[in-house]
Amino acid sequence: MNVLVWLAAILFLLMVLVGGKKGARSFIALFLNFGVLFTTILVMTDPNADPVILTIIASTVISCITLFYINEVTSTTKTAFISTMITIVILIFFIVIVTNTTMIQGFGEEEVGELYIFSFYIGVDFVKIAASVIIMSTIGAITDIAISIASPMREIFHHHPTISRKDLFRAGLSIGRDILGTNTNTLFFAFFGGYLALLFWFKDLSYSVGEIVNSKVFSAEMITILCAGIGIALVIPITSSITAYYLVKTREKNELSK
Amino acid sequence: MTGFVNKFKKLTYKQILLYSIITLCFVASVFFVNHNYSFYERPIVKVIETNLEDSTEVIDKNDNKDLLFTQQIKAELKNSEDKGQLIHLTNEYSASGAYDQEYKVGNELFVSIDNNTENTELTGTITDVKRDKYVLMIAWIFIFTLLIIGKKQGLYSVISLAVNAALLSYALDIYLHTSNISLLLICAISVLLFTAISLLLVNGFNEKTYSAIVATLLGTFISLLITYLVMVLTSENGLRYEEMGFLTRPPQMIFMAGLLIGSLGAVMDVAITMSSSIFGLYEKNNNIPIKALKTSGLEIGKDIMGTMTNILFFAYISGSIPALILYLKNAYPLSSTLSMNLSLEIARALSGGIGIVLTIPIGLYTALFFVNRKRAKL
Repeated sequence: MNVLVWLAAILFLLMVLVGGKKGARSFIALFLNFGVLFTTILVMTDPNADPVILTIIASTVISCITLFYINEVTSTTKTAFISTMITIVILIFFIVIVTNTTMIQGFGEEEVGELYIFSFYIGVDFVKIAASVIIMSTIGAITDIAISIASPMREIFHHHPTISRKDLFRAGLSIGRDILGTNTNTLFFAFFGGYLALLFWFKDLSYSVGEIVNSKVFSAEMITILCAGIGIALVIPITSSITAYYLVKTREKNELSK
Repeated sequence: MTGFVNKFKKLTYKQILLYSIITLCFVASVFFVNHNYSFYERPIVKVIETNLEDSTEVIDKNDNKDLLFTQQIKAELKNSEDKGQLIHLTNEYSASGAYDQEYKVGNELFVSIDNNTENTELTGTITDVKRDKYVLMIAWIFIFTLLIIGKKQGLYSVISLAVNAALLSYALDIYLHTSNISLLLICAISVLLFTAISLLLVNGFNEKTYSAIVATLLGTFISLLITYLVMVLTSENGLRYEEMGFLTRPPQMIFMAGLLIGSLGAVMDVAITMSSSIFGLYEKNNNIPIKALKTSGLEIGKDIMGTMTNILFFAYISGSIPALILYLKNAYPLSSTLSMNLSLEIARALSGGIGIVLTIPIGLYTALFFVNRKRAKL
């Protein structure tokens, strides 16, 4: 039997054992997200489709699945969803500028060796695809932080119903700061683990520091890690302010209707 | 009151010092990276004039249309013995830019200069782009964003990242220079250090952190063991190492070491979330029954399980998007495209997911163990 099938089966079993129904939903959500990502890639092969717009659409669907399907539609997941989308749109503007100036798109000279049988003139805009790759690799982390801030903020609001918007915002920021470190770590180690082969390559072929830093492969990986980190930090104030605004607004509405 | 004012003054003094150090580092590094031409042995040029010569439409054998351009570039040499001289370069690029790009005035490029004595004008070929200043600028934007939003915690995250990256590089050096140590052993030791450094730096020396460290180590190693057993039992059926790229060493070892390090961050995240929520509940109410702690812990675990597995999933798989598009556009069969490019990434994501889910009960029970020990001491 295939390694992947086995691993997937074990993961499913563990998720159901630990998480019950919600665990099963989390597992199905992984599959649905893979489907969305895969469909996006298929549509991206059409030269007339704009990869950046496709990425925004895909991110919307992915965060809907992650937030609403696993956690159900509540005011918490709704604010988390809005915050995720705002962060992604801001981040995508920044990343498009970055990929346009840094010339990290496509494949590095270390990679093309084994791709020599392929035609590289395929009419798809690789600069935009590079931007899409960076956004896609952060989307999981951004939704995670948005929900991790929105849900305890709601608890705080529940326990202190008269809290001011500013205090609520500050509480959100402080929750965000506490998880900032572990979340950046999660992504960094994931990338380090993935790039281990690249690091060996550089060390084995004794690249100089100058050659490593300027090579397309390395700078692309570094820029991905750094942009992911920027996204993780940005989502904190955005989620805090949106959740604070939403909760206080609904309280005012309720008071008015009374 | 005076004590408060003094404290305030002391704090701002420290902060002013910190801010000025950071600003100084920023200015110095930006200045350096824009004037470091003489540190490079390869000739560097700065583009001062570009001229689009002609453009042709090309259609490859799979009916993909693209535009090819030829660009004449006049550039000034920034280092080497011909510093200051002008050089003529030709650049061919495509509209899609998978392996090439248009150069604009102001771009800095690495070139190799042709040796011809007959011609008075220098000519050469472009070998690469000087990207160090871009990487540095984005690194600074990252550091400033983290500092502004995260304050002290942001600073700690930056420090922990830098220390971990240095540690990883050092560990690889040790491995490369002492050929008889297994890579897995080196990585296992590094994992110990990574875990201790990251968690202690962010959360300090307390039982909460110790419990998270124990849970992280158990979670990572058990999930690695499970993946290893599956790989042995299925004799690695379905894993395609040939597209791993950058192969200078046996791929299995690198893959396993990558698994160990890659899932570590996520497992740490789960472990610290579990232990801080259990300890938080215990500190609020010292008499809380173990059963109540267990139920709340499991509820928290269920909440984070889905989003955490998603983080790893997207972080691993997104990197393959350009390769997938290249394969598909070259009419490569869909199933082979997927298995060639995604088998390792999916295996990584699944194995990391197993680590995350396993760490929920492991983190819960280690936290309970530490809580019980604390209670017995009272």
